[in-house]
Formats: sequence, structure tokens, C-alpha cells
Amino acid sequence: MEHMDHTEHLEHTETPADMKSKIWNTFWILLGLTIVDIALYFALLSTHSMLKNALFIVLGVVKAWYIVGIFMHMKFERKVLMYMIILPMIFVVFFIALMLIEGDFTYLLRW
Amino acid sequence: MANTTNLSTDKKTAWGGGKSPFSVSYGKLMMWIFLLSDAFTFSSLLIAYGFIRYSFPSPMENTIVKPLSHVAEHFTEAMNKAGLFVQNHWPAPELVFNHFPFIHGIHLPLFFVSLMTFILIFSSVTMVLAVEAGHRMQKKEVANYMLLTIIGGAAFLGCQAWEWTTFIGEGARLYGNPFGPRSFAALFFIVTGFHGFHVFSGVVLNVIIYLNVLNGTYEKRGHYEMVEKVGLYWHFVDLVWVFVFTFFYLI
Repeated sequence: MEHMDHTEHLEHTETPADMKSKIWNTFWILLGLTIVDIALYFALLSTHSMLKNALFIVLGVVKAWYIVGIFMHMKFERKVLMYMIILPMIFVVFFIALMLIEGDFTYLLRW
Repeated sequence: MANTTNLSTDKKTAWGGGKSPFSVSYGKLMMWIFLLSDAFTFSSLLIAYGFIRYSFPSPMENTIVKPLSHVAEHFTEAMNKAGLFVQNHWPAPELVFNHFPFIHGIHLPLFFVSLMTFILIFSSVTMVLAVEAGHRMQKKEVANYMLLTIIGGAAFLGCQAWEWTTFIGEGARLYGNPFGPRSFAALFFIVTGFHGFHVFSGVVLNVIIYLNVLNGTYEKRGHYEMVEKVGLYWHFVDLVWVFVFTFFYLI
């Protein structure tokens, strides 16, 4: 039985030519953002406000944007795929914010 | 046959065939959808964390701790004596996670978790470099980068295991801990354990695909898309860690 080696033709979206430099740039950006994260944490140690938490969540989302956009190639895929993934996650961010606020109310109720 | 519908087989029309939705292959699309569902699972855990964390009083006011050159042998007991770990106040992360392997007794707040974050981000970089090499059909390069990714993943798992061991050694259990409310350690173990499980399965998948790359399976197939799919999973694991790190250690 002859085994036919065939190369499959796969549908895919093109990767930009300068992908490698984009990858390393993204790495430095992510590293920088993490350092900012930790520096901010120690700088704002004595403050306890929702604003501080929102700042950390925003930084996390920015990092997520780079990881999903460049590393997971989302930026170069069809827009509709991007929406399919991003739009449900907006609900999640909303949900997280709501639960942080709910936690606050529960705290007031308990203590 | 009077009425026959002529379905166009012209490849340029939508029904002509030869097109995949979103211009991605079936396997890649399914991986994206799976990652979306997994994102919901992790989100629900982090939402629960947010709620529980904020239902307790915040870490106490005098938690500004300057790095000490030498800290007492039993740091936890010293902090307990100073009244810094009160059972109904949520503990300050920089007081709990201040250890580092091989450096005993020195107060290094959040150093170790920063190292873990760096390891995981770097392994993500090597993974995407493997994918990029796959686009150019460079088998050896793909294999090298995948090996680096596997090593990074294994290093992260080792770090997490050390973190757990130290934490358990200091008295953290699922049913209680000396630092604050019972949920603190319980949530820590559940969420980092669930994430660690994903890292572990990611490493296993990476090893399988790495062996396939070495075998030349993808050279024969003509494309390295499997590396890409497994890469998506690995980046997802890194992404979740970014949020776990943000929520557990910073918020």
C-alpha cells in the first residue's frame, strides 16, 4: 500500500514580515509593564481604594492585549474572530468589577 | 427533472467551498473556543476571589514594611507577635510572600513571584518564536525553541511547587492559615493549583508536540500548525498567570 505524502493546504491569515522584531518588542513591553506593576504596588502600599485596583486591572488588561494580540496572533486574524473572543470578556471584566463592589457591601454588612 | 437548483461550485462564491470560517482551520478555531470557555472558568474563580477578598477588612494600616537586612528565624511568629496577621483582616501579600529559595530569612517581598512571572513570559516568547520558525518550515529551530519553552514551563512548575511547600510549611492549609481569614490560603491553593494544573498539562502537550517535531511529522504534513495550536494554549496559560498574579499579589 503506497503511502501518499501530501501537504495539506490550510487556510490561514498572513503573518507580517517583521514578526520576530514584533515578538521581542512585545517581550520588553510586557517586562516593563510587570516592573511598573510591582513598582506601583509598593508605591501605593498605604492606599486602599477601588481606583488603585482599577489601575492594576487596567495594567493587566493592557498586558493581556499584547499577549493575545501579538503572541496569539489575534491582531492579524480576521476581525470577526477577535470580536468573538473579546466581546464576551468585556462581560467578565464587568462581572469582576461588580463582585468587588458586592464584596464591599458584604463587608459593610458584616463588620 | 424540471427544477434543479444549481449550487455554484465556483470557488469565489460563499457556497463554492474551499473556505473556512474566520479564515482559520477547524482545529485552530476550536482551540480558540476552548480557550474562551477556560477563560470563563478562571474568571469565575477570580470573581469569587474578588468578592471574598473584599468582604473582609483590608490589610492593616501599618503594613508598610521596609526591607530588613536580617529577619528573625521565625518570621511568621514575629509578625504574629507584632499583631500584623489578624484573623479577620486580609493579609498583605508582601508580608506573606517574601521568601526566596536558597536565601533564608531575608525579607524579599514579591521577589519570587516576579521571577515566576518573568519565567512564564519568557517561555511564552520562546513558544511564539517556535511558531514563527514553523511558518518558515525550519524544523531544528522549532525544536530548539520548543525545548526552551518546555524547560521554562517545568521551571515555573518547580517554582510553584517550592512556593506551595514553603507556604504549607508556614502553616497554610485549606482549612486555615496563620496569616488571616481561612479563605486566604484556601483560595490561593485552589486558584494557583488549578492554574498549575493547566501549566502541567501544557508542558505535557508541549513535550508530545516537541517529540512529533523531532520525528518530522510536521515536515511531512507540510505545515507546523499543531505547534501554533499548542502555542495558543501555552499563551493562554501565561495570560491567566498575568491575571492570577495581578489579583492575588497586587489587589
